Amino acid sequence: MGKIKIHPDQKYIEGLAVNNSAIIQEIYKKFVPKVVFYIKNNSGDQDQAQDIVQEIMILLFNQAKANTLQLTCPFEAYFFLLCKRKWLNELKKTSNKGVTITEDVGSINESGLELVEQTEQFNEKQQLFDAMFLKLGDKCQELLKLSFSIKSMEEVAEKLNVTYGYVRKKKSLCIGQLTQWIQENNNFKSLKNN
Amino acid sequence: MNEERYILFDQYLQDEMAVEEKNTFENQLSEDLEFAAAFETFKAVHLQLETKFGYEEEREAFKENLTKISNKHFNKHKVIPLKPWHYGVAASAVILIGLLLYNYNQNPSFEDFNHPEQAYFTERSNANATLKEAERAFNSGEYKKAIPLFESILETNDTPEIQYFYGVSLLEANKTKKAEAVFNTLKTGTSAYKDKAIWNLALIKLKQKDYKACKEILLTIPEDYEDYVEVQILLKELE
Repeated sequence: MGKIKIHPDQKYIEGLAVNNSAIIQEIYKKFVPKVVFYIKNNSGDQDQAQDIVQEIMILLFNQAKANTLQLTCPFEAYFFLLCKRKWLNELKKTSNKGVTITEDVGSINESGLELVEQTEQFNEKQQLFDAMFLKLGDKCQELLKLSFSIKSMEEVAEKLNVTYGYVRKKKSLCIGQLTQWIQENNNFKSLKNN
Repeated sequence: MNEERYILFDQYLQDEMAVEEKNTFENQLSEDLEFAAAFETFKAVHLQLETKFGYEEEREAFKENLTKISNKHFNKHKVIPLKPWHYGVAASAVILIGLLLYNYNQNPSFEDFNHPEQAYFTERSNANATLKEAERAFNSGEYKKAIPLFESILETNDTPEIQYFYGVSLLEANKTKKAEAVFNTLKTGTSAYKDKAIWNLALIKLKQKDYKACKEILLTIPEDYEDYVEVQILLKELE
């Protein structure tokens, strides 16, 4: 990875990652009205706008926690484009009737667009990963859930009433199973880059 | 499935290999592309699982906070004209809620109003290790662990902010008397935590089911308090 110039608006991403109320409020005050305006002008209503914004905020929280979100453009443009594209996707999914789309005036540079696409990919991968996780047997699901939330494998073993050796082996194999499925799935190819 | 291989991957990631084993493993990584690719994917899955479950509590806290802020934001600007048929729906909802409240919820409970906020001291670059640890313990709800940490921080850095989070930890850990003392000190001060401290004093009374005292304290909170909506809701439920 080359050196990337991080935009000072990275503070919004960092604020989201630590659940900083002041930052969240600032985002709502400064950037959300534009999104609401856009959605209302494009066949949506206020409640739908509220949902879209909330979903994007959670997505940003997740990506920030995975440490893969480095802003190279102003937050406003990035955030707006993410919300807008998500809304257009929703429209496509639900609407059979013709919808009129008013092009927005906002502009975004190339690195911004790339960033938006990265976030969308992150989201898709997460969803795909979640789907695969659900394909695992109940035992694997439970064990992985405990292993990654409790962290101490001794405690996990105690909780499941099995030996330490067993949980360690089982954990490796459960992750192995996911690894194998993911390797077989082309959509996941670039997971490691994200 | 190549079981041996996945067990090795895990051992390597947990740094449990002897030097020699480790060297062999790393050699194989650099020579065997297929092996290396599988390891990369394994690592990526590991990371996914860490993000999925390692931050579960934080994610829930974030969602809750987000919903609160979002509702506040949208209600402020939201004027929904009621269409005629809405009146019927609204009326039945009121009746339903009334029935529910009548049957099950005579008095408001502490749990309903107990939403400790997240601490974030360590965004500041001068944060020391104890402060970081205290923040982590507090934010993950390990209040008993946070208490001695805050006490040691207060010895050298006695600020209203630390006092406040110390007080909340005490309250959450059921050390009510001590918590009351901390909030009372903050109440007499002029810091930004003054009103929050009064709110917490009211919460203490609520926890003790002393509804009259709770109400009296609530009435002293000024209207410009940032969470005045909560105050109003609690007052209403106390009526």
